[in-house]
Amino acid sequence: MDMTSVQRPALNCITRLVTGVFVGAALLLAVPGISQAGKITVYTSYEEDELAAFLEAMSKDLPDVEVDVLRLSTGDLRARMLAEADNPKHDVIWGWAATSMVDPRILEMLEPYSPADIDKVPARFRDKDGYWFATTGYMGAFCVNNEEMSKDNLAIPSSWQDLIKPEYKGKLVMPNPASSGTGYLHVASILQMMGEEDGWAYLDELDKNMDQYIKSGSKPCNAASAGENAIGISFALRAIKNIDEGYPITMVIPSEGAGHELEANALMKTSQNKEDAKKFLDWSVSKGAEAEYNKWKSIVTMQGRDMPEKFKNAGLPDDISTVLFEVDYAWAAENRDRIITEWQKRYEK
Amino acid sequence: MSVLSSKARASALPDSDRLFGVFTVGATGLLLVTFVLVPLWAILKNSFVTPEGIGLDNFVRYFTDARFVTVVGNTFEVGISVTLTTLVLAYGFAYAVQRTCMPFKGVLRIIALLPVFSPSLVQALGLQFLLGRNGFVNRTFGTEIDIYGFWGIFISDTVYAFPHAFLILSTALAVADARLYESAESLGAGPWRIFRTVTLPGTRYGIASAAFVVFTIVITDFGNPVVIGGNYSVLAVEIYNQVSGQANFAMGAVIGVLLLLPAALAVTGEKWIARRQFASLTSQSVPLVPRPNPARDAAWFAYSVLVALAILSLVAIVIYASFVRLWPYNLSLSLRHYQFDVQNGIQPLWTSISVAILTALLAIVFVTGAAYANHAFPMRANRILYFLAILPAAVPGMVLGLGYILAFNTPGQPVYWIYDTILIIAVCNVYHYHAQGFLLATTNIKQISSTFDEASATLGATKLRTVWRVTLPMIWPTVLAVGVFFFMRAMVTLSAVIFLITPSTQLAAVSVLYLDDRGALNQAAAFAVCIMATVVAFLVLTQLALRLAGIRGVNLVR
Repeated sequence: MDMTSVQRPALNCITRLVTGVFVGAALLLAVPGISQAGKITVYTSYEEDELAAFLEAMSKDLPDVEVDVLRLSTGDLRARMLAEADNPKHDVIWGWAATSMVDPRILEMLEPYSPADIDKVPARFRDKDGYWFATTGYMGAFCVNNEEMSKDNLAIPSSWQDLIKPEYKGKLVMPNPASSGTGYLHVASILQMMGEEDGWAYLDELDKNMDQYIKSGSKPCNAASAGENAIGISFALRAIKNIDEGYPITMVIPSEGAGHELEANALMKTSQNKEDAKKFLDWSVSKGAEAEYNKWKSIVTMQGRDMPEKFKNAGLPDDISTVLFEVDYAWAAENRDRIITEWQKRYEK
Repeated sequence: MSVLSSKARASALPDSDRLFGVFTVGATGLLLVTFVLVPLWAILKNSFVTPEGIGLDNFVRYFTDARFVTVVGNTFEVGISVTLTTLVLAYGFAYAVQRTCMPFKGVLRIIALLPVFSPSLVQALGLQFLLGRNGFVNRTFGTEIDIYGFWGIFISDTVYAFPHAFLILSTALAVADARLYESAESLGAGPWRIFRTVTLPGTRYGIASAAFVVFTIVITDFGNPVVIGGNYSVLAVEIYNQVSGQANFAMGAVIGVLLLLPAALAVTGEKWIARRQFASLTSQSVPLVPRPNPARDAAWFAYSVLVALAILSLVAIVIYASFVRLWPYNLSLSLRHYQFDVQNGIQPLWTSISVAILTALLAIVFVTGAAYANHAFPMRANRILYFLAILPAAVPGMVLGLGYILAFNTPGQPVYWIYDTILIIAVCNVYHYHAQGFLLATTNIKQISSTFDEASATLGATKLRTVWRVTLPMIWPTVLAVGVFFFMRAMVTLSAVIFLITPSTQLAAVSVLYLDDRGALNQAAAFAVCIMATVVAFLVLTQLALRLAGIRGVNLVR
């Protein structure tokens, strides 16, 4: 049997095909963002549109630092960072939930760093050991669909207590605290605000009016905006943006006070380019950054801000500290498992 | 075939064939272990990690939780009902396309496949636009349909799974031996009897494969239940709650292990069914060409149009929503949603296309290679090979994606060089959808009789030559179809790749997710439309290239 003449054409073709695939692959490959001088990788949960604006300002202020940004939702980003813990790819965490930052497995990966201008950020928005500091944040709010309200001749609720009135039965949607940080923020702040016993009793009543517990923090407001539900328990920024987008909704900050979450920044211990990473963090508390934050965020921790017009139009007061409920983050983080287990036992079918 | 005869055949192979066999099976096995088993183990071993050390406490905790029974019950309720419905609907549709002379087959086939052209959350978005409380139907007719919960998941998953079932069943129905039908007719069998005794048994393997694929797709799908599931909890969403909501890898891994059980069951089932599968295409067979029969063709045409319209309505409403100013309040037409205000604009679409092409090329070599290796070389190792090949179907994307990080993000590790590149995204896609591609190829290969192989061997050809001269010329349309399938999946997949993208390798499907997440529903719809348009354009271009090469009548999507 003439084996060589039989096999060669076939082998040649297969080899060619395989080589072709790998050459093709090599050509298509983007060079991975491994730290180089002048280049850093930033992980963030800021939303795409605000992120684009922040980055534009940053590239003007720091022309010699190239910043690669990866944006994931808070939970997905935490899962990814925990999985990557053995060989982290990023130099900086930027605009990421403080309640997640205090996870000991995350703290372990950080290096304390305080930018020169850190004093502009009041101490309660910083880690006492300097592992992280928060420049922005978001606050809880209800999104109420005007069309749905007038259809059923209902008044727009103004407080947490209003939400448990029988006329809102089946009208409510809120994020599931087991899957959403915003959802947990609401539950934790209710328990802190009312005390645990009254808090759970209140949540029992709230559950009677609840149509569904949805998976993410922004979804309830989107559901209310689209008229899928009448009232979405969500957060203020989402309401402001959706009003701006043109949806017929009203933003309500509950009169008892709104829970809030901080978006924190930190330096990675493993960063290969700490010099630029620190430059970036310095920038994150600079005047230039602050000006951009002011345009986009409901909470800017740096003092003395000008509230943008669209925030005022949506109903946010000039001094938001009057409507914020001061959440105890440490307590919220420590009791997370216990509260979520209890919550699931009570309300998840 | 019995164990004895297969062993006898294996030992009868000439040396060069044995070598080729061992190489093919070995290489396939090595790849499957590296890219399926290693990452899976990296994440699922967390299920045994407890604060008190290694043990089964996590499983005990989960099994004794009262919610467990409900959630598992829900998962099976959705899984079984969707599987049965989809199989019946898709078998009918595939039958109409392959075995009748109804008109507009090409168009109907494309419509049937539309749901795989867009990320799964788009089905749910379309369903919300159409049947939501404030959706098109309720707004137009003043009805009060409430779709959230079981029915929402049921409808959106049926639409989502339909093309997958259709692809496999249509491959199964594509080849048949006309002689069997002629003899059945001459023996006086009526159409129903012929269907029961010839058609159904001939496609048994396809049906079983489709059932497995649909069932696993449904129980691992997370996109649809999240959007439209209301308070109806299923296991795939539980994993998300544990991992993304609470950063609890241990409990997420426990649920991941549970979802693998159906795959193990399916392997046992396959053995049983494969034993009863006969090759419908032998060296003497005459290909079955459907003959016109006006009454029958009209009936099947009506059925197919009905199914196609149902699918089309979900897609059409998404396309429509992308062109209106503000769904559902301001329906004046506008192009403003096509100016994407995401970080990199439309750039992720180009990255997605590169990834998709790379995925398709890799899949053509490795997935059809795996199917061939599993079929052509009866070895004891094949049972394991088969299990590994279809195992990924049971793995939720999130589990696989995190597994890839845990397994490959270690400098010095042999495949570390592909980490952070689009190559790892492509590899992840290939192995994420390995089962579907593998079954697509296997369904076709199994129908080609081994008498071709035997004849070729008798004439003195080696296996390799048989592959090149006999097998490939017969199955190359399937090989191409596997490539097309992977191209389509790579364009739209989300759950696994979200953990592997980097700042310089952003993908289009992820942009859709973010846009939807931040409430820019019209923009999300617009981006999804761009993805669908890309896939359709790709199909048209490939078909055109085939025409130019003088090849006609090949179904790229089969």
